[in-house]
Amino acid sequence: MNMISWLDQTAVATWVRESPSLFAYPGIITLHTVGLALLVGINAVIDFSILGSTPGPSLAPMGKLFPVMWFGLWLNVLSGVALLVADAKTMLPNPVMWIKFVLVALAIVNMRLITHGVFRELSTTSTVPPRGKVLAVTSLVLWGAAIVAGRLTAYIGQ
Amino acid sequence: MELIESFGRWVEATALSHAITRSPWIWPGGEALHFVGLALLFGVIGALDLRMLGMAKRLALPTLHRLLPWAIFGFGLCLITGVIFLIGEPLQYIVNGVFWLKLLFIGLAGLNVLAFYATGVYRKVERLGPGEDAPGSAKVIATVSLVLWLGVMFWGRMLPFIGIAF
Repeated sequence: MNMISWLDQTAVATWVRESPSLFAYPGIITLHTVGLALLVGINAVIDFSILGSTPGPSLAPMGKLFPVMWFGLWLNVLSGVALLVADAKTMLPNPVMWIKFVLVALAIVNMRLITHGVFRELSTTSTVPPRGKVLAVTSLVLWGAAIVAGRLTAYIGQ
Repeated sequence: MELIESFGRWVEATALSHAITRSPWIWPGGEALHFVGLALLFGVIGALDLRMLGMAKRLALPTLHRLLPWAIFGFGLCLITGVIFLIGEPLQYIVNGVFWLKLLFIGLAGLNVLAFYATGVYRKVERLGPGEDAPGSAKVIATVSLVLWLGVMFWGRMLPFIGIAF
């Protein structure tokens, strides 16, 4: 709890929380939304494509969209830390927030298994391996659940 | 504007509006689905736009375009949940200029979609194969699309912060 009080009083936390500037809380939460759209949106595009009937070699160039996805992730890690520090007192003790962290962590591991595992094999196989289809489904479920948990932190567990 | 406000007051007094605001889960659940919808819509549309602008060029355009039903599904989720919010708290939205800016941007994005499909631009890119470049007209529409949908998210997020707060 001491750490939470300390975080809460840092200059960054106070600025994000209390500054009337639109670049503070409103701007940062907007970046968090844009990052979510890029990260989860591109993930969904890749997942639905894996679940479709497009042959592996035709899907392989989709790997060029990965940087957009990782950009969205970093945007949200940075904006998320700022938002979390600003609302440390209400958000850190919130169990829903921790459920969200676990879901995001699992989703990131899942994402790496797709980008570094499934996509490496795509150029050589004519069909997507069954493991890829399973990972696409778990990716959709995990990111969807992470969004739901994230939104619910504003309403429950406080 | 007064007419719209009195209509808003009438909506606010309906049993449906009361049911929405009194339910402990309709608003939070609606918000969650609104964001799932936003991710689907922006992900699919954004990927198509980026491909037309030259990113992931070895990807055939139909590979991405076949995902369009998911973008429409995402838009539908946002539309339905958005209408639920509007019925629940009509006055908080209709007296807020930011809400109208968000609607304006959605309308412009709709016109941009119309420009893409109705003016023959889509026909020029529908068979775009691996490595093929989209024509300038498609690039313009793709850029406008990215800017407008980012704008829609921006205005949506600004709703509680600019104008009246809620």
